[in-house]
Amino acid sequence: MIELKNVTKSYEINKNNLVVALNDVSMKIEEGELVVIKGASGSGKSSVLSLIAALSKPTTGEIIVDAKQISKLPDRFASEYRRDNIGFVFQKYNLITTLSVKENILLPLVPLNPDAQDADAKLNRAMEMFKISHKKDAIIKNLSGGEQQRVAIARANVNNPKIIIADEPTANLDEKLSLHFIEMLRELKKLNKTIVIATHDPLFFGLDIVDIEIEMHNGVVI
Amino acid sequence: MRNKINFYLIEYAINAILRQRYKNIFIATTLTFLIFLLTSIFFITNSIKYELNATVDALPEIVVQKIKAGRHYDIETHATEEILAITGVVDAVARVWGYYYFENAGVNFSIVGVDEFEAQYKESLKRVVETSNLMNTKESSMVVGSGVKETMQNNYYKDYFNFIKPDGTLKRVDVVGVFDGDTQLESNDMIVMSKADVREIFDMRESKATDIVVKVSNPDEVATIASKIKLIFPDSRIITKNDLKISYQNIFDYKSGIFLALFVVSLFTFFIIIYDKASGLSSEEKREIGILKAIGWRVDDVLKEKFYEGFIISFFSYMIGVIAAAGFVYIFQAPLLQNIFTGYSQLKASFELPFIFDVQTLFLVFFLSVPIYIAATIIPSWKIATLDADEVIR
Repeated sequence: MIELKNVTKSYEINKNNLVVALNDVSMKIEEGELVVIKGASGSGKSSVLSLIAALSKPTTGEIIVDAKQISKLPDRFASEYRRDNIGFVFQKYNLITTLSVKENILLPLVPLNPDAQDADAKLNRAMEMFKISHKKDAIIKNLSGGEQQRVAIARANVNNPKIIIADEPTANLDEKLSLHFIEMLRELKKLNKTIVIATHDPLFFGLDIVDIEIEMHNGVVI
Repeated sequence: MRNKINFYLIEYAINAILRQRYKNIFIATTLTFLIFLLTSIFFITNSIKYELNATVDALPEIVVQKIKAGRHYDIETHATEEILAITGVVDAVARVWGYYYFENAGVNFSIVGVDEFEAQYKESLKRVVETSNLMNTKESSMVVGSGVKETMQNNYYKDYFNFIKPDGTLKRVDVVGVFDGDTQLESNDMIVMSKADVREIFDMRESKATDIVVKVSNPDEVATIASKIKLIFPDSRIITKNDLKISYQNIFDYKSGIFLALFVVSLFTFFIIIYDKASGLSSEEKREIGILKAIGWRVDDVLKEKFYEGFIISFFSYMIGVIAAAGFVYIFQAPLLQNIFTGYSQLKASFELPFIFDVQTLFLVFFLSVPIYIAATIIPSWKIATLDADEVIR
């Protein structure tokens, strides 16, 4: 279960300029739920995802994941938390474009130094699940947007995390590829993954697999 | 599981180097060249220091020269008897030697005369007298240093050489062997022949010698004996081994000053590269660190990967630089660089740099290059890796 309790996040742009991205936000997400956080650009959706993934720390408030306080985790433990629990699909995919599909998907496993057999099994499972095996040696920069997204989601799943987070996952895709992404989500939901998506794409609104829709505006939950 | 060597991380580091191959080839080439230059300087310095020490060790304890109007003149051979009478003197030998300018090659050779019935003041000369045919031939003969032999052969003198005497007539002297000196510096410009032949070539009378070398029983008494000789022969200049050591050391120090300048320039260039590297990462490099952190890499995972990157480049450069320097100095005899040290080579025959294996030098160059480069690779990455991943990616 993911719980945000009275979370505030502000960024200091300079001494006289403080931007409040989130203001007293609270929410609860149960295990296996698919939650869509919707809202316009700058509404604070991405900041919520960033906090759940421990990519940044809240200014005030608490974030609890599986009964563990993650809001004040030291950097080392925050990295381990992400590695073991979170699969993050970024808006711009954040792949290393000069590496191959295989090398990108394997990246989260590198610090774990797994046996070659174990690494191959995880790699093949992730590639097959998201239908990118045929491109495993291709360099990312030579792939289409849809293929890059499949690599990104395969990378997010290679370590079999409990929580999948996706930030504007269809922002760079056409409708056909967006629908394909939704099919991938359907597969992940069947595996009882907790999925949190930040989007303003209407394709997700009222979708049968979505359990909760949370709307945000100017850093607060409406 | 995390204790064994992480080959995935090493593979990633190699990939990271190859992804920026042109930049890294430039850095590795520059680093290799600087390490090569530094190591060559150290290798040459070590070799020459060794040669100088060996040369100084082989020098006589006291040399007595006759001085007139501040200039060096031939000394009377009978002076040896008076010197021998001084308490503490073990031996006094009148030396007959001089420089012969070989015009064709533009070099000076040292011609040294020996007498089989005299005690030799140097081990190398003793060996020549005992082992060569120098004293057994009827014709005039000589034993030459390897450098001399080579120079003569290059100028079509293989078996003999015609020396031009002061009156313009020629003296033919046959080559009967190659002189094996105590040091390269000492013997590669040296010709050994009988005293009689040397006297004939330099037109020196039987009663005269170039100088007198004195051997003392107790090295602590050198200064006392030197002053006694000066009292007996007021027109003489007494040169002790210590004086010669200082004069050799002065020349060496002057030459090492030039090398020091080269050394400083090399280090300066190296630190400019390091400063440039340490001053920051490109936006692409920062983004990559942010991605790695976001997908679960810890700061120490990022730093380990950066360590491998720095180590691979710097150690590769170190190995190539050191091997190239060893080849350059000991196989090719350091063309150009050696001339800085042996600047008088137009007058002296060149010598070979002896191979001196000095672990300290290798360690010094290693610690001046590899850890510094690794630190310059790690520090900027550490600065980025310790920021919030979100902040770096954005």
